[in-house]
Amino acid sequence: MEQLLVPSLCTIEKIIQETADIRTYRLKFKDENLMSKFQWLPGQFVEFSLLGYGECTFCISSSVTRKGTFDCSIKRAGAVTSDIHSRLDEGDEVGIRGPFGNNFPLEELKGKNLLFVGGGIGLAPLRSLIQYCIDNRADYKDFTILYGARSSDDLCYKEETKEWQNNPSLKVILTIDRAEDTWHNNVGVVPKILEEVVKPTIENTKVITCGPPIMIKYTLQSLDRLGFDPKNVITTLEMRMQCGLGKCGRCNIGSTYVCKDGPVFTYEQLKTMPDEY
Amino acid sequence: MSFSTYKTDKAGLQKFYEAIIGACSTYAPVEKFGKYDYQKVAGLAACNPDSPIGNTMSIKPLFFPKSAKILKYKADSSGTEVSETTADPLAEKRVILGVKHCDARGLQVLDHVYKWDFIDTDYETRRNNTIIVSTRCDKAGEQCFCTSLDYDVEKSDAFDVLIVNGDNGTIYVQARTEKGEGFLKEHAGNLAAADGGAEEAMKKQYKSFEDSFRLKMNYEEINGKMKDRYESDEFDKVSANCIGCNTCAFICPTCHCFKISDERIKDEGVRYKSYDSCNNGYFTLMAGGHNPRPVKYRRWRQRAMHKFVYYKERFGVNLCVGCGRCAISCPVNISIFEVVKQVAK
Repeated sequence: MEQLLVPSLCTIEKIIQETADIRTYRLKFKDENLMSKFQWLPGQFVEFSLLGYGECTFCISSSVTRKGTFDCSIKRAGAVTSDIHSRLDEGDEVGIRGPFGNNFPLEELKGKNLLFVGGGIGLAPLRSLIQYCIDNRADYKDFTILYGARSSDDLCYKEETKEWQNNPSLKVILTIDRAEDTWHNNVGVVPKILEEVVKPTIENTKVITCGPPIMIKYTLQSLDRLGFDPKNVITTLEMRMQCGLGKCGRCNIGSTYVCKDGPVFTYEQLKTMPDEY
Repeated sequence: MSFSTYKTDKAGLQKFYEAIIGACSTYAPVEKFGKYDYQKVAGLAACNPDSPIGNTMSIKPLFFPKSAKILKYKADSSGTEVSETTADPLAEKRVILGVKHCDARGLQVLDHVYKWDFIDTDYETRRNNTIIVSTRCDKAGEQCFCTSLDYDVEKSDAFDVLIVNGDNGTIYVQARTEKGEGFLKEHAGNLAAADGGAEEAMKKQYKSFEDSFRLKMNYEEINGKMKDRYESDEFDKVSANCIGCNTCAFICPTCHCFKISDERIKDEGVRYKSYDSCNNGYFTLMAGGHNPRPVKYRRWRQRAMHKFVYYKERFGVNLCVGCGRCAISCPVNISIFEVVKQVAK
């Protein structure tokens, strides 16, 4: 066990300031052999260590189809994430264990319309899947991304969302909670825009959603109202974790290990689990 | 297959123990301030394999230490260096004497979580390299209820060698596993083969042991009812006195939650894996303040349901083995036995 808990060193290739409190860390294993063997699927996560300060769980926010490096997008929210933001610079080294957990059901998504619904930092796990699907665009039908944040300053991946908007094969809808003078896009919370602006077709559509708990709660209600089958609604859970290996007992929800059986669950699965997430 | 049974008397058993201690690296209960803890011993005089269960720590720390070093690191301007720590002191070939049946069962229960998916190889090595010699209790403790659960205490194969006190000072020594059979072949030099009456005498001892239990429950009924009690108000009542000290988890032979923490002095440090408990308020607290189990009754519900429902659902065995240590050590007298009985009422 103890060997499984020892991370491998990664170098920070680049730090991208996404918003005031979110940064994307572009990482590369120091050992090139390890980097070329590092394979992950959208939805999986890693254990990220700032040695001496602690270890945290973050999803990989980039796709394996964009080789050579991988991204973790980190919001300054607690003790270790504050240390990560304040102590790490480009070129510094961090420890990584992983990838862990299950992934978005890639086979099931093939041939379907995809609707991504993201809020705030919740776009990070979706971004991995979005990139993956864009790189295999022919496998999917309609491709819609609805992304919202509190304000325009809080929208992540600004450059990339621009690229998505310019991509004629994608439909991208951005929204912010309150109107701003310079904002000419949608205004309103994500579930509202979902029902009033996006008005998605239910037929042959899979919804993939992630965001703050409150957004997920109301988005699931909206999807219920729109008539989506809970089987076709996929989300990814955030739980406190330590080992990522199904041993430390921290991420248990009932008899489910979020680190092994999740973090990706369908709304149908969530309904059978105790509400402790 | 049937395994060998030997018989001896008190003096013979002591000789048997002495021979083991002389030949193998041996752990046994050692007394300190009236409490017993399993430690490496050099002679039988230093230990007491018949230590009373209520005052004896479980053998869990010999397989899952209270705190283990994961790595050492050094990080300065020239870069970061990570090194694994030194060899595992618990990996050597060893024998444990005076193991309680419930503790041995505890390891069988833990095997499931350590062997699914990622295999905990350290645990596996410690397990494979250990011979467990278990003495059957003659009388149940105040808080014991091992015979009420989902395992057969009498026919248990959780230990390699079983020792039973028969009538008139006769002591039976029986192999319970292949490993135990081989071990006895090697070390039972001074023991005589048991005669036909051995099984009968051991049964009789078990009967009198079984009759001595104060606490009894119908496990199937409790397990069945607990499944539907997630929303029960009783959790609030049974957990009201809990002060969150986590003693119950630390002394439990099957609690296996741990945390990973760093200790740093300037540019160097050590990362540890240490015991943790779901009764801690911060156990599920996430960065940003979200906590799925922010109140006591939710944490106690997790504890009781994990022991009696979730683990059984997941791995097919009950996580509580009925040793009663948590009830004995709890500063506010909460007993898991009473908790599940009340919730499943």
